[in-house]
Amino acid sequence: MSELQGLGAQLSEAEKTGVEIVAISPDPNEQSQKVAEGLRLGYRFLADRDLAIARRYGPVHAGGGPDGQDVPRPATVVLDRDGVVRWFSVSRNFQVRPDPEDVLRAVRAL
Amino acid sequence: MTSSTRLAALSVIVAVGAVAAYVLLLRVAVVRNHPEGYVVAFALTTALAALAVIRARGRRWPAWLALGLSGLLLLGGAWFNFVVARVPVAPTGLRVGERPPDFTLPDAAGRPVSLADYRGRKPVVIVFYRGYW
Repeated sequence: MSELQGLGAQLSEAEKTGVEIVAISPDPNEQSQKVAEGLRLGYRFLADRDLAIARRYGPVHAGGGPDGQDVPRPATVVLDRDGVVRWFSVSRNFQVRPDPEDVLRAVRAL
Repeated sequence: MTSSTRLAALSVIVAVGAVAAYVLLLRVAVVRNHPEGYVVAFALTTALAALAVIRARGRRWPAWLALGLSGLLLLGGAWFNFVVARVPVAPTGLRVGERPPDFTLPDAAGRPVSLADYRGRKPVVIVFYRGYW
């Protein structure tokens, strides 16, 4: 969760309206709603219950969950206005997330 | 207090401090993104405790206790960081300059959201995260 807070906290108000941050996890909607309210950030929390989208995009850690289930591999993708990938980062250690500064640099370069 | 006991106490304080600092500063990107830092801290406290054991005269249990604590933290921390937390490298379909597939997923309120909704309107940052747990 901490990466979501870091990224949101460093966006200016103008940037928050100029870019959409879409957070995707297998959390059910109710859980995402709680997280969204707790963070008070302008994120869209989307529920990818069966990891269908994570699988289509690639960042899946097979068997990486506490019960041996597949879990998302932490990843961040920056798309420009036309929906084209301009930057992305996929974690190789699940404790490590992209530095918000790097994500913001990619966003500001658009 | 003998120098051995002082070294043992220092070892325990630094080890406990490293755990506390890591947990408290997890939101700071530079701390979170260098988890090997806690392994290095535990290696340091293990070395301090080993020195305490070598210097111990008479009352040896504080030094051995410190060595046991730091040794366990070092083994556990190294195992977690280098084995458990490592995500096997697997190719993703993502390419810079390409348009990834569209998707539609329900948002927190259950309303469907499509990536295509933003095309021509806004840049989008997609964050895949492991969930609340």
